[in-house]
Amino acid sequence: MSVPSLLTFTFTLRERSAAIWRPWAQRTRQLSLSWGPLLWAAGKRSSFHLVELTEAELKEQFVRGDGPGGQATNKTSNCVVLKHVPSGIVVKCHQTRSVEKNRKIAREILQEKVDLFYKGEDSDVFKEIKASEKKKQEKKRRAKENLERKKHFKEMLQLEREQT
Amino acid sequence: MRCLTPSLLRRFWGLLPQYLSVGPSQSPNLSPKQSSLRQSCSARPGLLTAPDVVSYWQKVFEKNGIPEARESSEYIVSFVLGAKTFQSLDSEKLRAPLTAVQQEQIQQLSCKRLERMPVQYVLGEWDFQNLTLKMRPPVFIPRPETEDLISLVVEEESRKCEVKNSAFSVAVPPPVILEIGCGSGAIALSLLCKIPQSRVLAVDKEEAAVDLTRENVHRLQLQGRIHVLHHNVSYGSAKHLLPWGPMDFIVSNPPYVFHEDMASLDAEILRYEDLDALDGGDDGMRVIKTILTLAPTLLKDSGSVFLEVDPRHPAMVEDWLTAQPDLFLTLRAVHKDFCGKPRFLHIQKQSR
Repeated sequence: MSVPSLLTFTFTLRERSAAIWRPWAQRTRQLSLSWGPLLWAAGKRSSFHLVELTEAELKEQFVRGDGPGGQATNKTSNCVVLKHVPSGIVVKCHQTRSVEKNRKIAREILQEKVDLFYKGEDSDVFKEIKASEKKKQEKKRRAKENLERKKHFKEMLQLEREQT
Repeated sequence: MRCLTPSLLRRFWGLLPQYLSVGPSQSPNLSPKQSSLRQSCSARPGLLTAPDVVSYWQKVFEKNGIPEARESSEYIVSFVLGAKTFQSLDSEKLRAPLTAVQQEQIQQLSCKRLERMPVQYVLGEWDFQNLTLKMRPPVFIPRPETEDLISLVVEEESRKCEVKNSAFSVAVPPPVILEIGCGSGAIALSLLCKIPQSRVLAVDKEEAAVDLTRENVHRLQLQGRIHVLHHNVSYGSAKHLLPWGPMDFIVSNPPYVFHEDMASLDAEILRYEDLDALDGGDDGMRVIKTILTLAPTLLKDSGSVFLEVDPRHPAMVEDWLTAQPDLFLTLRAVHKDFCGKPRFLHIQKQSR
């Protein structure tokens, strides 16, 4: 993610600077910067039970600039900025070159973030992140073990050779 | 709710790409030669990552007055790295130094962009909904608004199916769709993909468009369900369009720019796109009127016409249709595009 995401983040913060933030809320904001392929690429989205978002709660903006639009314009910026008004969470999506797809993906990411925001550790999203984190740690641990075993085996072999 | 553990947070921060801000000491040395890059495009040597190169070309584009400097740079670099957008590049690709071959490719593409060539032509492809289509000048580049036109047709077709199914419990025959002015084939091919078993007749008055649509048809392996015809609806006979029977739908993104607005279009459009695909005459209505005049002959009863138009057209079309009672066409609905502008017309042939 690049500078524009940071700008969105700081803009959101400025808007709500008067509010007293729980540490949880702040950390969720920080999380949002690195969101993206992490979650929905896992392909298990359909089994999640997530908070439902209604269109009335959402505010959408397109980085498309002013102008007549339609045929008279050929702008390639298909970025979608989607805000969940009640929680203030903002998602910026430019994953594809299709506006329609970006709108859809933005809604999916936003739903995940809002779910995490409201449910915290009870959120399926949080559980999925923890599970994947655990798997990675397990993998690392096993790899390390294998490496040590190989090293030990080599040392044993070396010792045997020296003795003979 | 307890806070996330520090280890998890560290992991998330680690996922952030190492965005290198190019400070004054590191800024690309834009020598006088490199500043006027229209004449000579020389790539900057050395170990560079994708963000470095995006920054570099963004500055070059800005110096040369190229609009959407950052977006153009990102699309070009992403394309060379095999991705659709910069945001979709994984952190590995963002950290890895670019090869000389990649930098050379980026330079070649960027030089074209420096000539105000639209990014879609520079890359030779663009996406429309779920499809990646080949693009080639001067064939009209699909606009993002038009993606919503597809949804409208699909919704109407579902609605018709539901009504018929509940009334007759007989299988509804798959729809026949005519697209007028197919360009690259974006609308025709999207409809084919979204409405299973539909059949499409796509026509365009320009050979280049017909050729490009046929290429895209073959790329997507949809030959069996679509015919692409070189035909000018303004002059040709409607008979040519009827061998496939009367249509359920006529869909079009006809040229609708008001002639007086043509001169103020961006250089990208004026220099590279077929202006006939844009110029709709004095009031932008020339081709719209042609299509609506033909519609009653071509449509089944209760068949629909879906048009993309200029935001000023809905009222003009309604007035015009009222003055043409012999057409038996009614303006059923006006739909807005994603920017909130009135953009799409749904016109229906009354059953007599």
